[in-house]
Amino acid sequence: MSFSLDSLSAVELSKLIKSGGVSAKEVTEQAYSLIESRDDKVQAFLELTEDLAFSAAQKIDEARAKGEELPALAGVPMAFKDNMNLIGTHTTCASKMLEGFESVYTATCVQNMLEAGGIPLGKLNLDEFAFGSSTETSYYQTTKNPHDLERVPGGSSGGSAASVAAGESLITLGSDTGGSIRQPAAFCGVVGLKPTYGTVSRYGVVAFASSLDQVGPFSKTVEDNAYALQALAKKDPRDVTSQNITADFISQLTGDIRGKKIGVVSSMIEAKGVSEETKRALRKAQEHLKDLGAELIEVELPHAESAMSAYYVIGPAEAFSNLSRFDAVRYGHQAKASNLGDQTSHSRYEGFGPEVRRRILLGSYILSSELYHEYYYPAQQVRTLITKDYTDAFEKCDVILMPCSPRTAFKFGEIDDPTEMYLSDMFTVSINIAGNGGISLPIGFGDESGLPIAAQLVCPAFKDADLLKVAHALEGCYPKVEVAKIMKAGE
Amino acid sequence: MALTSDDARRIADYARIAVDEGDLGQLADYLNNMMETLAPIKEFDLEGVEPTFHPIGDLTNVMREDEPGKSLPIELALKNAPQTSDRYFRVPTILGGQE
Repeated sequence: MSFSLDSLSAVELSKLIKSGGVSAKEVTEQAYSLIESRDDKVQAFLELTEDLAFSAAQKIDEARAKGEELPALAGVPMAFKDNMNLIGTHTTCASKMLEGFESVYTATCVQNMLEAGGIPLGKLNLDEFAFGSSTETSYYQTTKNPHDLERVPGGSSGGSAASVAAGESLITLGSDTGGSIRQPAAFCGVVGLKPTYGTVSRYGVVAFASSLDQVGPFSKTVEDNAYALQALAKKDPRDVTSQNITADFISQLTGDIRGKKIGVVSSMIEAKGVSEETKRALRKAQEHLKDLGAELIEVELPHAESAMSAYYVIGPAEAFSNLSRFDAVRYGHQAKASNLGDQTSHSRYEGFGPEVRRRILLGSYILSSELYHEYYYPAQQVRTLITKDYTDAFEKCDVILMPCSPRTAFKFGEIDDPTEMYLSDMFTVSINIAGNGGISLPIGFGDESGLPIAAQLVCPAFKDADLLKVAHALEGCYPKVEVAKIMKAGE
Repeated sequence: MALTSDDARRIADYARIAVDEGDLGQLADYLNNMMETLAPIKEFDLEGVEPTFHPIGDLTNVMREDEPGKSLPIELALKNAPQTSDRYFRVPTILGGQE
Protein backbone atom coordinates (compact mmCIF):
# COMPACT_ATOMS: atom_id res chain seq x y z
CA MET A 1 0.00 0.00 0.00
CA SER A 2 1.29 3.42 -0.82
CA PHE A 3 1.48 5.89 2.01
CA SER A 4 3.30 9.13 2.61
CA LEU A 5 4.70 10.18 5.97
CA ASP A 6 4.48 13.78 4.74
CA SER A 7 0.71 13.68 4.77
CA LEU A 8 0.19 11.83 8.06
CA SER A 9 0.24 12.93 11.68
CA ALA A 10 1.81 10.60 14.25
CA VAL A 11 -1.61 9.59 15.55
CA GLU A 12 -2.91 8.89 12.03
CA LEU A 13 0.18 6.87 11.19
CA SER A 14 -0.07 4.77 14.31
CA LYS A 15 -3.71 4.00 13.56
CA LEU A 16 -2.73 2.94 10.04
CA ILE A 17 -0.07 0.60 11.43
CA LYS A 18 -2.49 -0.86 13.97
CA SER A 19 -5.05 -1.53 11.23
CA GLY A 20 -2.43 -3.35 9.19
CA GLY A 21 -2.44 -0.73 6.43
CA VAL A 22 1.33 -0.45 6.62
CA SER A 23 4.11 -2.14 8.61
CA ALA A 24 6.46 -0.38 11.01
CA LYS A 25 9.31 -1.66 8.84
CA GLU A 26 7.91 0.09 5.75
CA VAL A 27 7.48 3.26 7.79
CA THR A 28 11.08 3.07 8.99
CA GLU A 29 12.33 2.52 5.45
CA GLN A 30 10.42 5.54 4.20
CA ALA A 31 11.66 7.68 7.10
CA TYR A 32 15.29 6.88 6.31
CA SER A 33 14.71 7.44 2.63
CA LEU A 34 13.33 10.92 3.44
CA ILE A 35 16.30 11.60 5.69
CA GLU A 36 18.65 10.54 2.92
CA SER A 37 17.13 12.94 0.43
CA ARG A 38 16.51 15.86 2.84
CA ASP A 39 19.08 15.85 5.60
CA ASP A 40 21.95 16.80 3.31
CA LYS A 41 20.16 20.13 3.04
CA VAL A 42 18.81 20.48 6.58
CA GLN A 43 21.53 18.74 8.58
CA ALA A 44 19.32 18.10 11.57
CA PHE A 45 20.80 14.70 12.48
CA LEU A 46 24.10 14.18 14.24
CA GLU A 47 23.72 10.41 14.30
CA LEU A 48 21.43 7.87 12.64
CA THR A 49 20.51 4.70 14.48
CA GLU A 50 19.22 2.30 11.82
CA ASP A 51 19.89 -0.81 13.90
CA LEU A 52 17.86 0.48 16.84
CA ALA A 53 15.10 1.72 14.56
CA PHE A 54 14.65 -1.47 12.54
CA SER A 55 14.82 -3.58 15.68
CA ALA A 56 12.05 -1.47 17.27
CA ALA A 57 10.02 -1.70 14.06
CA GLN A 58 10.41 -5.48 13.98
CA LYS A 59 9.13 -5.76 17.56
CA ILE A 60 6.04 -3.75 16.65
CA ASP A 61 5.36 -5.77 13.52
CA GLU A 62 5.79 -9.03 15.45
CA ALA A 63 3.52 -7.84 18.27
CA ARG A 64 0.87 -6.93 15.72
CA ALA A 65 1.18 -10.29 13.98
CA LYS A 66 0.59 -11.97 17.33
CA GLY A 67 -2.51 -9.89 17.88
CA GLU A 68 -1.05 -8.01 20.86
CA GLU A 69 -2.33 -4.58 21.73
CA LEU A 70 0.05 -1.93 20.41
CA PRO A 71 1.05 1.19 22.38
CA ALA A 72 -0.42 4.60 21.54
CA LEU A 73 2.34 5.78 19.21
CA ALA A 74 3.36 2.43 17.76
CA GLY A 75 5.60 2.79 14.74
CA VAL A 76 5.99 6.57 14.86
CA PRO A 77 9.40 7.77 13.61
CA MET A 78 10.99 9.81 16.39
CA ALA A 79 14.33 11.42 17.11
CA PHE A 80 15.96 12.95 20.15
CA LYS A 81 17.98 16.04 20.92
CA ASP A 82 21.57 14.98 21.39
CA ASN A 83 21.67 15.97 25.05
CA MET A 84 19.50 12.94 25.83
CA ASN A 85 21.10 9.59 26.55
CA LEU A 86 20.08 6.49 24.66
CA ILE A 87 22.02 3.24 24.99
CA GLY A 88 23.55 2.35 21.65
CA THR A 89 24.09 5.99 20.65
CA HIS A 90 26.58 8.74 21.28
CA THR A 91 25.47 11.73 23.31
CA THR A 92 27.59 14.72 22.36
CA CYS A 93 25.58 17.81 23.33
CA ALA A 94 26.97 19.04 19.97
CA SER A 95 30.26 19.64 21.77
CA LYS A 96 33.82 18.59 21.13
CA MET A 97 33.89 17.93 24.88
CA LEU A 98 31.68 14.87 24.42
CA GLU A 99 32.88 13.73 20.99
CA GLY A 100 32.57 9.94 20.92
CA PHE A 101 30.79 9.72 24.29
CA GLU A 102 28.77 6.51 24.42
CA SER A 103 25.55 6.52 26.42
CA VAL A 104 25.70 3.94 29.19
CA TYR A 105 22.05 4.31 30.13
CA THR A 106 18.87 5.69 28.58
CA ALA A 107 17.14 8.91 29.66
CA THR A 108 13.70 8.33 31.17
CA CYS A 109 12.02 10.67 28.64
CA VAL A 110 13.53 8.72 25.73
CA GLN A 111 12.60 5.41 27.35
CA ASN A 112 9.02 6.61 27.78
CA MET A 113 8.76 7.52 24.10
CA LEU A 114 10.18 4.15 23.08
CA GLU A 115 7.70 2.38 25.34
CA ALA A 116 4.94 4.39 23.68
CA GLY A 117 5.97 2.72 20.41
CA GLY A 118 8.47 5.23 18.97
CA ILE A 119 10.97 4.21 16.30
CA PRO A 120 14.30 5.86 17.26
CA LEU A 121 15.72 7.28 14.03
CA GLY A 122 18.68 9.08 15.58
CA LYS A 123 20.03 12.03 17.52
CA LEU A 124 19.53 15.68 16.63
CA ASN A 125 21.73 18.74 16.50
CA LEU A 126 21.56 21.56 19.06
CA ASP A 127 23.46 24.59 20.18
CA GLU A 128 26.49 23.34 22.11
CA PHE A 129 25.23 22.23 25.53
CA ALA A 130 21.94 23.97 24.59
CA PHE A 131 23.49 27.45 24.94
CA GLY A 132 22.05 29.43 22.09
CA SER A 133 19.04 30.46 20.04
CA SER A 134 20.10 29.50 16.52
CA THR A 135 21.91 26.11 16.67
CA GLU A 136 24.90 27.97 15.22
CA THR A 137 27.09 27.13 18.21
CA SER A 138 27.07 23.37 17.47
CA TYR A 139 30.63 22.09 17.14
CA TYR A 140 29.63 19.68 14.39
CA GLN A 141 27.32 21.24 11.83
CA THR A 142 24.91 24.02 11.06
CA THR A 143 21.28 22.99 10.91
CA LYS A 144 19.23 24.91 8.33
CA ASN A 145 15.66 26.10 8.54
CA PRO A 146 13.66 23.81 6.20
CA HIS A 147 11.52 26.80 5.10
CA ASP A 148 14.56 28.80 3.97
CA LEU A 149 17.97 27.14 3.98
CA GLU A 150 19.72 30.49 4.39
CA ARG A 151 18.06 30.96 7.76
CA VAL A 152 18.58 29.48 11.20
CA PRO A 153 16.14 26.93 12.61
CA GLY A 154 16.22 28.65 15.99
CA GLY A 155 17.65 27.02 19.05
CA SER A 156 18.80 25.46 21.09
CA SER A 157 16.67 22.49 19.94
CA GLY A 158 17.13 23.50 16.28
CA GLY A 159 17.63 19.95 15.04
CA SER A 160 14.45 18.76 16.78
CA ALA A 161 12.33 21.52 15.20
CA ALA A 162 13.94 21.29 11.74
CA SER A 163 13.60 17.52 11.54
CA VAL A 164 9.82 17.69 12.06
CA ALA A 165 9.44 20.66 9.70
CA ALA A 166 11.43 18.77 7.04
CA GLY A 167 9.20 15.73 7.43
CA GLU A 168 12.07 13.47 8.54
CA SER A 169 10.56 12.68 11.96
CA LEU A 170 6.98 12.91 13.17
CA ILE A 171 7.78 13.50 16.83
CA THR A 172 11.05 14.73 18.33
CA LEU A 173 12.09 15.67 21.83
CA GLY A 174 13.85 18.84 22.84
CA SER A 175 14.72 20.57 26.07
CA ASP A 176 13.74 24.11 27.03
CA THR A 177 15.61 26.22 29.57
CA GLY A 178 14.61 29.67 28.34
CA GLY A 179 12.74 29.02 25.10
CA SER A 180 14.80 26.28 23.48
CA ILE A 181 11.74 24.28 22.40
CA ARG A 182 9.28 27.09 21.72
CA GLN A 183 11.50 29.48 19.73
CA PRO A 184 12.80 26.88 17.22
CA ALA A 185 9.27 25.49 16.89
CA ALA A 186 8.17 29.06 16.01
CA PHE A 187 10.99 29.53 13.49
CA CYS A 188 10.30 26.18 11.81
CA GLY A 189 6.49 26.37 11.87
CA VAL A 190 5.80 23.31 14.04
CA VAL A 191 4.17 22.76 17.43
CA GLY A 192 6.58 22.83 20.40
CA LEU A 193 5.61 22.35 24.02
CA LYS A 194 7.50 23.18 27.18
CA PRO A 195 5.44 21.41 29.81
CA THR A 196 5.12 22.72 33.34
CA TYR A 197 8.34 22.26 35.31
CA GLY A 198 8.12 18.89 37.07
CA THR A 199 5.96 17.20 34.41
CA VAL A 200 8.74 15.34 32.58
CA SER A 201 11.73 13.59 34.13
CA ARG A 202 15.15 14.99 33.21
CA TYR A 203 17.02 11.86 34.28
CA GLY A 204 19.59 11.10 31.59
CA VAL A 205 19.31 14.54 29.99
CA VAL A 206 22.50 16.59 30.28
CA ALA A 207 21.69 19.42 32.67
CA PHE A 208 21.97 23.11 31.74
CA ALA A 209 20.10 25.04 34.47
CA SER A 210 18.39 22.65 36.82
CA SER A 211 15.72 25.01 38.15
CA LEU A 212 14.65 25.90 34.57
CA ASP A 213 15.20 22.83 32.34
CA GLN A 214 12.21 20.90 31.07
CA VAL A 215 11.86 18.32 28.29
CA GLY A 216 9.04 18.49 25.75
CA PRO A 217 7.86 17.31 22.32
CA PHE A 218 7.78 18.76 18.80
CA SER A 219 5.19 17.64 16.27
CA LYS A 220 3.11 18.81 13.31
CA THR A 221 -0.14 18.74 15.29
CA VAL A 222 -1.31 19.58 18.80
CA GLU A 223 -2.90 16.14 19.04
CA ASP A 224 0.46 14.44 18.39
CA ASN A 225 1.95 16.67 21.05
CA ALA A 226 -0.73 15.66 23.55
CA TYR A 227 -0.09 11.96 22.87
CA ALA A 228 3.63 12.51 23.35
CA LEU A 229 3.07 14.37 26.61
CA GLN A 230 0.79 11.60 27.83
CA ALA A 231 3.71 9.19 27.36
CA LEU A 232 6.25 11.57 28.90
CA ALA A 233 4.38 12.80 31.99
CA LYS A 234 5.28 10.13 34.48
CA LYS A 235 6.74 10.35 37.92
CA ASP A 236 10.34 9.14 37.93
CA PRO A 237 12.06 8.29 41.21
CA ARG A 238 15.33 9.24 39.52
CA ASP A 239 14.33 12.92 39.18
CA VAL A 240 13.06 14.34 42.46
CA THR A 241 11.38 17.23 40.64
CA SER A 242 9.14 14.90 38.64
CA GLN A 243 5.60 14.93 39.92
CA ASN A 244 2.79 12.43 39.87
CA ILE A 245 0.72 13.66 36.92
CA THR A 246 -2.76 12.22 36.55
CA ALA A 247 -4.07 14.56 33.83
CA ASP A 248 -5.56 13.19 30.62
CA PHE A 249 -4.12 15.39 27.88
CA ILE A 250 -5.92 13.71 24.99
CA SER A 251 -9.59 13.62 25.98
CA GLN A 252 -9.54 17.42 26.39
CA LEU A 253 -9.00 18.03 22.69
CA THR A 254 -12.61 18.61 21.77
CA GLY A 255 -12.25 21.89 19.91
CA ASP A 256 -14.82 23.44 22.22
CA ILE A 257 -13.33 26.34 24.16
CA ARG A 258 -16.52 28.34 24.60
CA GLY A 259 -16.32 30.30 27.83
CA LYS A 260 -12.56 29.79 28.26
CA LYS A 261 -10.90 32.94 29.48
CA ILE A 262 -7.87 33.89 27.44
CA GLY A 263 -5.57 36.50 28.93
CA VAL A 264 -4.05 38.79 26.33
CA VAL A 265 -0.82 40.66 27.13
CA SER A 266 -1.22 43.57 24.70
CA SER A 267 1.87 45.32 26.04
CA MET A 268 3.94 42.38 24.74
CA ILE A 269 2.09 41.89 21.46
CA GLU A 270 2.32 45.58 20.62
CA ALA A 271 5.85 45.99 22.05
CA LYS A 272 8.55 47.84 20.15
CA GLY A 273 10.80 45.21 18.63
CA VAL A 274 7.95 42.89 17.66
CA SER A 275 7.74 42.82 13.87
CA GLU A 276 4.61 44.29 12.29
CA GLU A 277 3.67 41.01 10.59
CA THR A 278 3.93 39.19 13.93
CA LYS A 279 1.65 41.78 15.52
CA ARG A 280 -0.89 41.37 12.72
CA ALA A 281 -0.82 37.57 13.01
CA LEU A 282 -1.34 37.73 16.77
CA ARG A 283 -4.27 40.14 16.40
CA LYS A 284 -5.79 37.68 13.93
CA ALA A 285 -5.28 34.84 16.46
CA GLN A 286 -7.23 36.89 19.01
CA GLU A 287 -10.11 37.23 16.55
CA HIS A 288 -10.09 33.46 15.99
CA LEU A 289 -10.20 32.81 19.72
CA LYS A 290 -13.13 35.19 20.05
CA ASP A 291 -14.92 33.47 17.16
CA LEU A 292 -14.41 30.14 18.95
CA GLY A 293 -16.39 31.54 21.86
CA ALA A 294 -13.48 32.25 24.20
CA GLU A 295 -13.53 35.38 26.30
CA LEU A 296 -10.52 37.67 25.84
CA ILE A 297 -9.33 39.44 28.96
CA GLU A 298 -6.56 41.99 29.11
CA VAL A 299 -3.88 40.96 31.62
CA GLU A 300 -0.57 42.45 32.66
CA LEU A 301 2.72 40.86 33.57
CA PRO A 302 4.59 43.92 34.83
CA HIS A 303 7.76 42.07 35.82
CA ALA A 304 8.01 39.77 32.82
CA GLU A 305 10.17 42.32 31.00
CA SER A 306 12.73 41.93 33.76
CA ALA A 307 12.76 38.19 33.17
CA MET A 308 15.66 38.56 30.72
CA SER A 309 17.98 39.94 33.36
CA ALA A 310 16.84 37.39 35.96
CA TYR A 311 17.30 34.60 33.41
CA TYR A 312 20.82 35.63 32.42
CA VAL A 313 21.77 35.67 36.08
CA ILE A 314 20.15 32.37 37.09
CA GLY A 315 20.84 30.41 33.87
CA PRO A 316 24.62 30.93 33.66
CA ALA A 317 25.00 30.54 37.45
CA GLU A 318 23.35 27.13 37.35
CA ALA A 319 25.17 26.20 34.13
CA PHE A 320 28.50 27.08 35.75
CA SER A 321 27.67 24.64 38.52
CA ASN A 322 26.31 21.88 36.24
CA LEU A 323 29.20 22.06 33.78
CA SER A 324 31.78 21.72 36.53
CA ARG A 325 31.30 17.97 36.14
CA PHE A 326 33.30 18.11 32.91
CA ASP A 327 36.67 17.53 34.49
CA ALA A 328 38.19 15.30 31.76
CA VAL A 329 38.64 12.44 34.22
CA ARG A 330 35.46 10.36 34.08
CA TYR A 331 34.51 11.26 30.52
CA GLY A 332 34.99 14.02 28.02
CA HIS A 333 37.81 15.53 25.99
CA GLN A 334 41.16 15.29 27.72
CA ALA A 335 44.07 17.60 26.95
CA LYS A 336 47.64 16.52 27.51
CA ALA A 337 49.06 17.98 30.71
CA SER A 338 51.51 16.99 33.39
CA ASN A 339 49.35 17.79 36.40
CA LEU A 340 45.67 17.54 37.23
CA GLY A 341 45.01 21.30 37.45
CA ASP A 342 46.40 21.98 33.98
CA GLN A 343 44.66 18.90 32.60
CA THR A 344 41.31 20.20 33.83
CA SER A 345 41.68 23.77 32.61
CA HIS A 346 43.21 22.90 29.24
CA SER A 347 40.64 20.15 28.60
CA ARG A 348 37.84 22.61 29.33
CA TYR A 349 39.42 25.24 27.09
CA GLU A 350 39.84 22.81 24.20
CA GLY A 351 36.59 20.90 24.72
CA PHE A 352 34.13 23.77 25.22
CA GLY A 353 33.33 26.21 22.42
CA PRO A 354 33.45 30.01 22.88
CA GLU A 355 29.78 30.49 23.85
CA VAL A 356 29.92 27.72 26.46
CA ARG A 357 33.11 29.21 27.92
CA ARG A 358 31.53 32.66 27.97
CA ARG A 359 28.46 31.47 29.86
CA ILE A 360 30.53 29.47 32.35
CA LEU A 361 32.64 32.55 33.01
CA LEU A 362 29.55 34.69 33.42
CA GLY A 363 28.10 32.20 35.90
CA SER A 364 31.39 31.97 37.74
CA TYR A 365 31.53 35.76 38.07
CA ILE A 366 27.89 36.11 39.13
CA LEU A 367 28.39 33.58 41.91
CA SER A 368 31.50 35.30 43.23
CA SER A 369 31.07 36.74 46.72
CA GLU A 370 31.00 40.35 45.55
CA LEU A 371 28.20 39.78 43.05
CA TYR A 372 26.10 37.17 44.79
CA HIS A 373 24.18 39.74 46.82
CA GLU A 374 24.14 42.29 44.02
CA TYR A 375 22.82 40.02 41.23
CA TYR A 376 22.15 36.38 42.16
CA TYR A 377 20.02 36.85 45.26
CA PRO A 378 17.98 39.74 43.73
CA ALA A 379 17.37 37.60 40.62
CA GLN A 380 15.77 34.96 42.82
CA GLN A 381 13.65 37.67 44.47
CA VAL A 382 12.62 38.91 41.02
CA ARG A 383 11.62 35.31 40.26
CA THR A 384 9.14 35.63 43.14
CA LEU A 385 7.68 38.80 41.54
CA ILE A 386 7.45 37.21 38.08
CA THR A 387 5.77 34.13 39.52
CA LYS A 388 3.30 36.34 41.38
CA ASP A 389 2.50 38.22 38.15
CA TYR A 390 1.47 34.94 36.56
CA THR A 391 -0.49 33.83 39.64
CA ASP A 392 -2.37 37.14 39.66
CA ALA A 393 -3.05 36.97 35.91
CA PHE A 394 -4.32 33.39 36.17
CA GLU A 395 -6.91 34.49 38.71
CA LYS A 396 -8.58 36.25 35.78
CA CYS A 397 -7.94 33.77 32.95
CA ASP A 398 -7.25 30.14 32.08
CA VAL A 399 -4.55 30.56 29.46
CA ILE A 400 -2.46 33.55 28.36
CA LEU A 401 -1.71 34.51 24.74
CA MET A 402 1.54 36.30 23.91
CA PRO A 403 4.20 36.37 21.20
CA CYS A 404 6.71 33.52 21.08
CA SER A 405 9.48 35.22 19.17
CA PRO A 406 9.62 38.93 18.32
CA ARG A 407 10.34 38.09 14.69
CA THR A 408 10.64 35.25 12.18
CA ALA A 409 13.79 33.19 11.58
CA PHE A 410 16.89 35.29 10.93
CA LYS A 411 19.72 34.61 8.47
CA PHE A 412 22.93 32.86 9.41
CA GLY A 413 25.42 35.30 10.84
CA GLU A 414 22.79 38.06 10.95
CA ILE A 415 23.11 38.34 14.72
CA ASP A 416 26.73 38.09 15.76
CA ASP A 417 26.59 39.94 19.07
CA PRO A 418 25.84 37.38 21.81
CA THR A 419 23.95 39.89 23.96
CA GLU A 420 21.69 40.77 21.00
CA MET A 421 21.11 37.06 20.32
CA TYR A 422 19.84 36.71 23.89
CA LEU A 423 16.87 38.96 23.01
CA SER A 424 15.45 36.14 20.85
CA ASP A 425 14.16 34.66 24.08
CA MET A 426 12.55 37.81 25.47
CA PHE A 427 9.02 36.35 25.47
CA THR A 428 9.86 32.81 26.49
CA VAL A 429 12.19 33.06 29.49
CA SER A 430 9.66 34.29 32.04
CA ILE A 431 7.71 31.04 31.67
CA ASN A 432 10.76 28.99 32.66
CA ILE A 433 11.42 31.31 35.56
CA ALA A 434 7.86 30.89 36.86
CA GLY A 435 7.79 27.18 35.91
CA ASN A 436 4.51 27.36 33.92
CA GLY A 437 3.72 25.40 30.78
CA GLY A 438 4.04 27.12 27.40
CA ILE A 439 3.36 26.08 23.84
CA SER A 440 4.44 27.52 20.52
CA LEU A 441 1.71 27.16 17.93
CA PRO A 442 2.06 27.97 14.21
CA ILE A 443 -0.38 30.72 13.18
CA GLY A 444 0.43 30.97 9.52
CA PHE A 445 3.15 32.68 7.53
CA GLY A 446 4.29 36.29 7.72
CA ASP A 447 2.63 38.50 5.12
CA GLU A 448 6.00 40.18 4.51
CA SER A 449 8.62 37.50 5.16
CA GLY A 450 6.64 34.45 4.05
CA LEU A 451 8.16 32.63 7.05
CA PRO A 452 6.36 30.80 9.87
CA ILE A 453 4.93 32.86 12.74
CA ALA A 454 3.85 31.43 16.08
CA ALA A 455 1.66 32.35 18.99
CA GLN A 456 2.69 31.38 22.47
CA LEU A 457 0.07 30.15 24.90
CA VAL A 458 0.89 29.85 28.60
CA CYS A 459 -0.90 27.97 31.37
CA PRO A 460 -0.75 27.88 35.17
CA ALA A 461 1.48 25.17 36.62
CA PHE A 462 0.18 21.66 35.88
CA LYS A 463 -2.72 22.89 33.74
CA ASP A 464 -1.05 21.68 30.55
CA ALA A 465 -4.21 19.81 29.53
CA ASP A 466 -5.99 23.16 29.35
CA LEU A 467 -3.12 24.61 27.36
CA LEU A 468 -3.30 21.83 24.79
CA LYS A 469 -7.08 22.16 24.62
CA VAL A 470 -6.92 25.85 23.71
CA ALA A 471 -3.98 25.31 21.34
CA HIS A 472 -5.87 22.51 19.60
CA ALA A 473 -8.96 24.66 19.10
CA LEU A 474 -6.92 27.58 17.77
CA GLU A 475 -4.94 25.23 15.49
CA GLY A 476 -8.24 24.33 13.81
CA CYS A 477 -8.57 27.92 12.56
CA TYR A 478 -5.46 27.59 10.37
CA PRO A 479 -4.51 25.37 7.42
CA LYS A 480 -2.93 22.07 8.40
CA VAL A 481 0.82 22.29 9.09
CA GLU A 482 2.59 20.89 6.04
CA VAL A 483 6.16 19.73 5.58
CA ALA A 484 8.25 22.69 4.36
CA LYS A 485 7.67 23.10 0.61
CA ILE A 486 11.31 23.26 -0.47
CA MET A 487 11.90 19.89 1.16
CA LYS A 488 9.60 18.22 -1.32
CA ALA A 489 11.03 20.00 -4.35
CA GLY A 490 12.91 17.74 -6.71
CA GLU A 491 11.84 14.51 -5.01
CA MET B 1 33.99 49.51 37.88
CA ALA B 2 34.64 47.82 34.56
CA LEU B 3 36.42 44.48 34.55
CA THR B 4 39.93 44.31 33.09
CA SER B 5 41.75 41.52 31.29
CA ASP B 6 43.34 40.58 34.61
CA ASP B 7 39.88 40.19 36.16
CA ALA B 8 38.79 37.99 33.24
CA ARG B 9 41.86 35.79 33.80
CA ARG B 10 41.06 35.49 37.52
CA ILE B 11 37.44 34.50 36.77
CA ALA B 12 38.56 31.92 34.20
CA ASP B 13 41.05 30.47 36.69
CA TYR B 14 38.26 30.08 39.20
CA ALA B 15 36.10 28.32 36.58
CA ARG B 16 39.06 26.05 35.72
CA ILE B 17 39.16 27.14 32.10
CA ALA B 18 42.45 28.02 30.46
CA VAL B 19 42.37 31.18 28.35
CA ASP B 20 44.25 32.43 25.38
CA GLU B 21 45.96 35.69 26.35
CA GLY B 22 44.63 37.22 23.14
CA ASP B 23 41.02 36.50 24.15
CA LEU B 24 41.15 38.15 27.56
CA GLY B 25 40.19 41.62 26.34
CA GLN B 26 37.20 40.26 24.45
CA LEU B 27 36.08 38.22 27.47
CA ALA B 28 36.32 41.26 29.72
CA ASP B 29 34.22 43.23 27.18
CA TYR B 30 31.63 40.45 27.14
CA LEU B 31 31.39 40.35 30.93
CA ASN B 32 31.16 44.14 31.12
CA ASN B 33 28.40 44.18 28.48
CA MET B 34 26.50 41.48 30.31
CA MET B 35 26.79 43.25 33.65
CA GLU B 36 25.33 46.34 32.00
CA THR B 37 22.52 44.24 30.45
CA LEU B 38 21.78 42.62 33.80
CA ALA B 39 21.90 45.90 35.74
CA PRO B 40 18.07 46.28 35.83
CA ILE B 41 18.05 43.47 38.38
CA LYS B 42 19.55 45.91 40.87
CA GLU B 43 16.84 48.51 40.37
CA PHE B 44 13.87 46.70 41.87
CA ASP B 45 12.38 47.49 45.21
CA LEU B 46 12.90 44.07 46.73
CA GLU B 47 12.44 45.02 50.34
CA GLY B 48 10.67 42.14 52.08
CA VAL B 49 10.47 39.99 48.91
CA GLU B 50 11.41 36.39 49.62
CA PRO B 51 13.58 34.67 46.99
CA THR B 52 12.28 31.72 44.96
CA PHE B 53 15.19 29.41 44.31
CA HIS B 54 13.06 26.78 42.67
CA PRO B 55 9.83 26.96 40.62
CA ILE B 56 8.12 24.17 42.51
CA GLY B 57 9.25 25.33 45.92
CA ASP B 58 5.74 24.92 47.31
CA LEU B 59 5.56 21.25 46.44
CA THR B 60 7.03 18.46 48.48
CA ASN B 61 10.05 16.51 47.40
CA VAL B 62 9.38 13.16 45.78
CA MET B 63 10.98 10.77 48.26
CA ARG B 64 11.55 7.04 48.17
CA GLU B 65 12.55 4.43 50.71
CA ASP B 66 16.29 4.28 51.17
CA GLU B 67 16.72 0.86 49.66
CA PRO B 68 19.82 -0.24 47.81
CA GLY B 69 19.25 -0.48 44.08
CA LYS B 70 21.35 -1.46 41.09
CA SER B 71 24.28 0.81 40.29
CA LEU B 72 26.12 1.24 37.04
CA PRO B 73 28.54 -1.68 36.53
CA ILE B 74 32.18 -0.62 36.84
CA GLU B 75 33.01 -1.39 33.22
CA LEU B 76 30.21 0.92 32.04
CA ALA B 77 31.19 3.65 34.49
CA LEU B 78 34.73 3.51 33.10
CA LYS B 79 33.68 3.14 29.47
CA ASN B 80 34.05 6.81 28.54
CA ALA B 81 37.04 7.60 30.73
CA PRO B 82 40.01 8.92 28.76
CA GLN B 83 42.44 6.99 30.98
CA THR B 84 41.82 4.09 33.31
CA SER B 85 43.96 1.79 35.36
CA ASP B 86 42.47 -1.51 36.44
CA ARG B 87 39.13 -0.56 38.02
CA TYR B 88 39.99 3.11 38.49
CA PHE B 89 40.00 6.44 36.70
CA ARG B 90 43.57 7.50 36.08
CA VAL B 91 44.68 11.09 36.63
CA PRO B 92 48.03 12.82 36.42
CA THR B 93 49.82 13.90 39.55
CA ILE B 94 47.86 16.38 41.61
CA LEU B 95 50.76 18.29 43.16
CA GLY B 96 53.79 19.26 41.15
CA GLY B 97 54.42 18.88 37.47
CA GLN B 98 55.74 15.36 36.95
CA GLU B 99 53.66 12.29 36.18
